[in-house]
Amino acid sequence: MTDTTLTETAALDALRQVIDPEIGCNIVDLGMVYSVQINGGCVRVIMTLTTPGCPMSESIAAGVQNALLALEPVTDAQVELTFDPPWHPAMMTEAGRAMTGARF
Amino acid sequence: MEAALPISAVAKSTRKQAAPVAAAAPSVSLPLRFVVTGLLSLFVGAGWLISRPDLLTTYHYNQFIIALTHLFVLGWLCSTVMGAMYQLVPVALETKLYSERLAKWQFVIHLVAFVGMVWMFRKWDMKQVGHFGTGMAIGVGLFVYNLTRTLLRVPKWNVVATAIASALVWLSLTVIAGLSIAAAKCSYESAEGLATADGVRQIVSGLRAVGAFMSHFDALNAMHAHAHLGVVGFFTMLVVGVSYKLVPMFTLGEIQSRRRANLSVWLLNAGLLGSVISILLRSQFKFVFALVIIAALAIYGWELAAIVRARRRSALDWGVKSFLTAVAMLAPLSLLAAVLAWPRLPLNPFTGQLENLYGFLGLIGFVTFAIIGMLHKIIPFLVWFHTYSPHVGKAQLPALADLYSERVQVASFWTWQAGLVVTCAGILAEHAALARGGALLLAASLALFAVNIGKILSHIVRPVLKPFPAPASK
Repeated sequence: MTDTTLTETAALDALRQVIDPEIGCNIVDLGMVYSVQINGGCVRVIMTLTTPGCPMSESIAAGVQNALLALEPVTDAQVELTFDPPWHPAMMTEAGRAMTGARF
Repeated sequence: MEAALPISAVAKSTRKQAAPVAAAAPSVSLPLRFVVTGLLSLFVGAGWLISRPDLLTTYHYNQFIIALTHLFVLGWLCSTVMGAMYQLVPVALETKLYSERLAKWQFVIHLVAFVGMVWMFRKWDMKQVGHFGTGMAIGVGLFVYNLTRTLLRVPKWNVVATAIASALVWLSLTVIAGLSIAAAKCSYESAEGLATADGVRQIVSGLRAVGAFMSHFDALNAMHAHAHLGVVGFFTMLVVGVSYKLVPMFTLGEIQSRRRANLSVWLLNAGLLGSVISILLRSQFKFVFALVIIAALAIYGWELAAIVRARRRSALDWGVKSFLTAVAMLAPLSLLAAVLAWPRLPLNPFTGQLENLYGFLGLIGFVTFAIIGMLHKIIPFLVWFHTYSPHVGKAQLPALADLYSERVQVASFWTWQAGLVVTCAGILAEHAALARGGALLLAASLALFAVNIGKILSHIVRPVLKPFPAPASK
C-alpha cells in the first residue's frame, strides 16, 4: 500500500524542478515560492518572479502546475503570482546563493 | 498545511493583492524576424567593408559610405533595435504591446524600404532614395505609433519610459531630417507639367519648398545633424534608458539613484537639442552642447557603475560584459566629440579621418557591440521561450547560458576588440590595408558570433530535453 498524502517537502522538491532559465537556478532556492498550501489533492502556490512583467511568467507558472500535477495525489494545482513583497536576492536560500554566486 | 519556507513569514504577512496580469510579450516570431534581418544586414555590411576598406580611409561624403552607413544603421541597428523593442518595451514597462499586427506590417515596409534606400544611395539616385525613404518614414510612423500607444498603457511612469519616449521623438525627427535632406538634393522640373489641381503637384511643390528651406543650411552640417539625431537621440538614448532596466535585471541589482538616472536622460535630451541646432547653424555653441551631452553620459556612467558595484550576482556573464565594454567606448567617443566640436578646429584631412573614426567608433564600437552583448541575452531567451516553455516542470531543461558556448563568446569578444583597434589604426593612418585587416578581424568575430547564434537556433529543431533525475511518482 502506498502513502498518497502529499507533504510540503515533496511539493517543494517537485518545485525545485522548475528553473528560472536566465539565472539558471530553481524557483524554490531563488526564494520565489512564498507559500504552498495543500488541501487533499488541491495545491495552491503563492509565488513571485524576479521582476514584475517577467516574460517567463506564463512559462514558470505553467511549469509549477506541471510539476505539481505530476505528484500523487494532486488533481488541482493553482498558482498565484504576487509582487507584494517584491522579490529580492536576500530571499534566496543558501543553496540558491551558492548556485547563482549571489553575494550579500 | 503551509510549507515552512525561509521567507514564508514575510510572504504570509504581507501578501494582500493578486499579481498584475503578466505582461504579454508579442509572439516570438515577431522580434526574431527583425533580429534575423538585422544579423543578415550586419554580415553583408562586414563583407562590404572588407571589399572596400578605403571607404573608411577617405572622407565620408560619398555615395558608397552613405549607402554602407545606411545598411548598418537601417538594416542592422534599426531592424534589431525595433525587434528588440517590440519584445522588451512591454517587459520593461510591465504592459502589453499595443498591436502585433501593426508591427508585422511595419516589418514588411521596413524591409522593402531599407533595402531600396541602400540600393539607391549606392546608385546615388536621390529621387528614389526619397521614395524608399518615404516608405521608411511610413514604417517608422507605424513603429512610433505602436510604441506610443504602448507607452500610454504604462502603469507606472519611470526613467526607462522617459528615455524610450524621448528616443521615439528623436527617431521621428531623424526621419524628417533625412527626408528633408533628400528633398534638397532632388530637382523638380517634372512638377511644371502637372495640372495645378493635381494632388501629386501639391506634394511635389511641398517637397520643393522643403528642399528650398534646406538649401539655407550647409549640406554637410545637415547630414551631421541628421546623424546625431539618429545615433545620439535614438540609439544612445535607448541604450541609456534600457540599461537602467536590463543591467539591474541581469546582475541582480537595482538603480542606486533615480535622481541621477533621470538627470542623465534629461541632460542628454537638452544637450542633443542644442547640439543639433548648433551643428545645423554651424554655431560655436556646438562645443558647449557637446559638453552637456558628455556630462549626461558621465552621469549615466556614474549611475551604471554604481548599479554594477552594488549588484548581488558576483560573476558578470559575457553578454553583460560585452554591453559594459561597449558603454565604456563612450569615454573615447566623448573625447573625440569634444575635439571635433572645438570651434577653432582646422579643417584638414586628419580632421576628416577623426570624423570617420568618430562615426566608426559610435556605430560599430559602441552601438553595435552593445547590441551584440544584449543579443546574447535576447536570442537565447526567444529561442528558449519558443522551444522549452511547454516543457517547464515536465523535463530537465537547459538554462539560457547552456544554449551557446561561452568559450566561443569569449573568443568573439577578444577578436572584436582586436578588430576595433586595428581598424581604428587604419582609419587614423589612412591605411586601407590596415583597415581591411581590422575589418577581417571584426568579420571573424562576427563569424564566431554566428556560430553561437547557430547553436542557439539549433535548439528549435533539436531541443535538449532530459528526464528529471528522480521523477515524481505518478
